[in-house]
Amino acid sequence: MKKRYAIGIDLNKCIGCHTCEIICKLENKVPISVWRIWVKEGLKGKFPLVRKAFLPVLCNHCENPTCVTVCPVKASIKREDGVVIVDPHRCIGCRYCMAACPYGMRHVNPLTGIVQKCDFCLHRIENNNQPACVLGCPAKAMVFGDLNDRNSEIYKFVIEKNVTVLKEDTGNHPQAFYAGLDFILADKKGMPE
Amino acid sequence: MDTMLTYNVPMQETFGVWIAVYFYLTGLSAGSFILSTLRYVFGFEQFKPLAKPGVVLAALLLILAPLALLIHAGQPMRAWHLFVFINPSSPLSWGSFLLTIYPIISIIYGYFMFKENKKWAKILGIIGIPSAIAVHGYTGFVLSVAKARALWATPIMPLLFLVSAIISGIAMMMIVNVIQGYFFSKERKINTDLLFTLGKMLIWIIVFDLFLVFCDVIAHYTGHKEGMEVVKHMFTGTFGFLFLFAEVFVGKIVPLVVFSVPRWRRTSVYVIMAVIIMIGIFIMRYNVVVGGEHIPIV
Ligand code: SF4
Ligand code: SF4
Repeated sequence: MKKRYAIGIDLNKCIGCHTCEIICKLENKVPISVWRIWVKEGLKGKFPLVRKAFLPVLCNHCENPTCVTVCPVKASIKREDGVVIVDPHRCIGCRYCMAACPYGMRHVNPLTGIVQKCDFCLHRIENNNQPACVLGCPAKAMVFGDLNDRNSEIYKFVIEKNVTVLKEDTGNHPQAFYAGLDFILADKKGMPE
Repeated sequence: MDTMLTYNVPMQETFGVWIAVYFYLTGLSAGSFILSTLRYVFGFEQFKPLAKPGVVLAALLLILAPLALLIHAGQPMRAWHLFVFINPSSPLSWGSFLLTIYPIISIIYGYFMFKENKKWAKILGIIGIPSAIAVHGYTGFVLSVAKARALWATPIMPLLFLVSAIISGIAMMMIVNVIQGYFFSKERKINTDLLFTLGKMLIWIIVFDLFLVFCDVIAHYTGHKEGMEVVKHMFTGTFGFLFLFAEVFVGKIVPLVVFSVPRWRRTSVYVIMAVIIMIGIFIMRYNVVVGGEHIPIV
């Protein structure tokens, strides 16, 4: 059967260690000053009632991805198995996909001028490995797998937990599922003051 | 709520100023093309002096405009991909064909015009008007299809762009008219009737443009969460100054008032206003493109 890769993040388990950020950089040689996954952090409440909230964000590998709709040369493609990738030999670097992605999950490589993004570590998952971020997470907050496989961890994650996605109203049908998402943190945008 | 963001990652620039320049140039081109058809298609004889410079500028600007795109692109040498790998759902893909067809049409149209072949100039003009509208209108779609940014994703974006294109086109034609009269005509006399007619046209088009901007602001202000953020962003800070003061007040309301007062009907005043309008429309493009992407989405 066709695969449908998705990722699940349990925010109740996330400890905000930024390991996914770093391991992704190492694994995929992500250029300086850009990230393919990062952990948004927020401070909720006032002393003595305070809590840190974390939100790792990465490409959602949307079912209906805006980036693929707008790419003028079909360099951004949605593969059969659900992974959204950029063809590095075809991309002209127009950055339209970056402008159109509602999640801001693409970056331009300063050396080559082409746009790059998370590809679920394609080189790893094609060899039945986990993406680097999932493997590296010390709190085991992330699960990855094939949603069409009823025995997969991600299938269980989505069924057993109360899951939600980011910016559901875009109609993109994101495939990164969050459990325990804090909407107050998700709504805070931009840089910390 | 007592929540503050303590860590996030800055966004890279996506479209930036070169795309604003590109939108501005296509707008000027479409505007001057439409003005040049006023005589050859619609038969308004008083616009005759504008027809030739109009079409020359339309073709020239449209040949310049894609250069801004090439500067912007990370891999300009791959521009030919645009003609080989076509994605019908992407406005940029439509644009690559419009940007080739439209200059060709305007060059043929100009050729017949310079040959004084009225019949063919009219036919080409009729074909040219929709293509001029398309070549600028599609840039509005480029923004409105990119649904990530609330400022861009509005259905009236193409219309807003077209109206401001016509405004900048008319303003440029006012300047062209003065230069033409001053330096190139035999009697060294400026055709002031034409200048003032153009001013009168501008009054109504600026009013329409302000109305569209007003609709857009109201819809955003009373709309969903992201729309409200847009209004806050465009009314305060740097973009507040650029939008409210530079674009709307200086770039539109001041010329509107000046053009409606008969006592200020002087060539010098009109030329200054035309320059201000042209700068104002450029600021408008900048506000839309760069302002739109400055609103954080993550
Ligand atoms: S999150 Fe953005 S880059 Fe990723 S698939 Fe969706 S639209 Fe494309
Ligand atoms: S930057 Fe590359 S992947 Fe993105 S829209 Fe342009 S050609 Fe497509």
